[in-house]
Amino acid sequence: MRKTVEALSLFGYNVIVKSGLENKGEEFMSLLEARNLKKSFGTVKAVDGISFSVEAGEVFTIIGPNGAGKTTTLEMVEGLQPPDGGSISIAGLTWDKDAFAIKLMIGVQPQSGAMFDLLTVKENLELFASFYPKPKSTEEVLEMINLSDHRSKRVKSLSGGQRQRLAIGLAMISDPSIIFLDEPTTGLDPQARRNIWDIVLKLKELGKTTILTTHYMEEAEKLSDRVCIVDQGRIVTLDTPAALIERLTKEREVRLTFQDGEEAAKETERMAMGESTVVRTLREGSSLKLWSVQPEETLYGLFGFTKEQGYRVEQVSIREMSLEDVFIAFTGKEWRD
Amino acid sequence: MSKSKQLGKLFGAQIKMMFREKQVWFWNLFFPIILMVLFMIIFGGGGSKEFKADIAVVKPSANATADMLEDHLRQVPVFKWKSDQPVSQEQADTWIKDKDVEAVIVLPATEDATAVKLIVNKENEKSATTQAISGILDQFIQQTNFSVAGVQPTFKLNMDSISNGNDDLSYVDFLMTGMIALSIAQGGLFGMVEMVEMRRKGLLRRLRLTPVKMGLYGVAGMLVRFVLAFVQICILSAIGIFGFGAHLHVDIPTLVIAFFVGALAFNALGYLFSSFSKTLEAYMGVANIASFLMMFLSGIFFPTNGFPDWLQPVSKVLPLTYFVNGMRDGMVYGNGIGTGEFWMGIGILGAWGAVAFLVAAMIYRNGKVEVR
Repeated sequence: MRKTVEALSLFGYNVIVKSGLENKGEEFMSLLEARNLKKSFGTVKAVDGISFSVEAGEVFTIIGPNGAGKTTTLEMVEGLQPPDGGSISIAGLTWDKDAFAIKLMIGVQPQSGAMFDLLTVKENLELFASFYPKPKSTEEVLEMINLSDHRSKRVKSLSGGQRQRLAIGLAMISDPSIIFLDEPTTGLDPQARRNIWDIVLKLKELGKTTILTTHYMEEAEKLSDRVCIVDQGRIVTLDTPAALIERLTKEREVRLTFQDGEEAAKETERMAMGESTVVRTLREGSSLKLWSVQPEETLYGLFGFTKEQGYRVEQVSIREMSLEDVFIAFTGKEWRD
Repeated sequence: MSKSKQLGKLFGAQIKMMFREKQVWFWNLFFPIILMVLFMIIFGGGGSKEFKADIAVVKPSANATADMLEDHLRQVPVFKWKSDQPVSQEQADTWIKDKDVEAVIVLPATEDATAVKLIVNKENEKSATTQAISGILDQFIQQTNFSVAGVQPTFKLNMDSISNGNDDLSYVDFLMTGMIALSIAQGGLFGMVEMVEMRRKGLLRRLRLTPVKMGLYGVAGMLVRFVLAFVQICILSAIGIFGFGAHLHVDIPTLVIAFFVGALAFNALGYLFSSFSKTLEAYMGVANIASFLMMFLSGIFFPTNGFPDWLQPVSKVLPLTYFVNGMRDGMVYGNGIGTGEFWMGIGILGAWGAVAFLVAAMIYRNGKVEVR
């Protein structure tokens, strides 16, 4: 237990708060626990010490740019790749000892969305159903993924969105308690994406636990109970979407543009850095960005200064925060889809 | 779900997939049929048509000897005269060059001359037709000699062909069984391309995420290919028998043993190819090379004993040689199971299969790239 806390503490307090480990002296098992996962490909550290736990019934989203280690993390948890280090337990079971039992508990929609192209929608579902002892009824799944009308279509002739819905259908045909969806909406048009969201929300209603990866912030914000932001194989931060934004809202971005050019911006920046409410600043030519925990207070002070100096401020704005900003704030990188 | 029920589902799904794939129809059914029909028409004499040769006769001058020979030549039924009358030497040369005729026979120029000249195109010098014409002509001259000398020949050659099995074994039988063996072998060599495709599409990993046993999937695939091979045997046999008058002398135990061991061995070879081929193209390249080499070196179309000495050992190594021999034992020679040679061949074939399978399994187990 002590070890876990240490490992988790490497990644910020929010990890510990959510896992609830430090409050309880007794053993507490989440539905899924990944501890200090590591995986290298050659010299590249794809996953460099990722730990998280997922509670029953929640939608847990791993978000990050391409190559952040999302898929590798997911594949280790799904048992497709053995981790170089760390441990995974699913309902107290491990891949080494209970692979068969775990396979009965999980349903996976891999990124490639692999299925049998020459079989129809229904035939695919029936074939996968035959792999499990107690599958869901094919009809029920067809209904849920809204493909009842296309049941006799061969996979070859499905649209991208239909194909993706079938991949999710195949993941839930075994009636699993944990469902993994690896970038289910990548490359889909907005309508098709919304259809997938509906399915995820339906799964949540059914009490399923869903682990989702995506690179769409909007998606993470809409669907998840908790969001785990990864970058370069590490967890950058992990919390509920609201709490993540909340934390950043304390730090709001204030933008000022000066009519009098660079000199005014430079002077104002120097002054702002002296203010206790200002966390950091960024200046580009005659425009100045600063992040403040108390924007009103900061602005009051700033305007006092500019008036005194006789600088003319052309534009002032305070930005609303989104998960995208959370990502930028935590990684210092621009977000790219 | 029970094992057998699961196997049934997997078998059902795979058989649907196989027959929905147009490539399977073409390569495993139409292609062998076309190939067999072509070979039978070209080399099997197109059924029972007789040998005919187009010739022209040059008679430099009218003399008693030439007239007599011309009369006799007209009575040889296999010679088809391009022109009813003898032609000039120039005309005959042109025809030979253009291959309008297969041979030109030049009759003696004077009554005393005794030589009859046979002219053929240099390209066809060694062809079967030329050999036949020269043989016929030779016999014709001898007979003429005898009749001129007033002698009755004492010895006569009666030619009859026999094989080690039955009396009516023909080239058509030989070719048909060869084609059947070839198409079953190709079914195995090319059939495992599915593994490469499944790997490329991520289907292998997808199945690994389920509790299904990959071994069971493989067994179902094997059963599907047995069905396909059975269909091939039936169709090719039917065409051979009804279209070209082939004869079968089936020995069921021999046929069944040769069929199963052979089909398994070639599937194992395909499995081996799939283990080290990263792309579809790579797999098809390897399978094509293997298939083409064996097609010509294993006695599918022609008996291997016509090969030059240095090439003989090569055909003695190839698995298809033993498979086609085994299939012929079971389908036209009607024996095999009692002979040591048959079991020797089956042993070598089985060894090929076992080694290929073990090596492939090792590559699959050790290779990490495999899963992608």
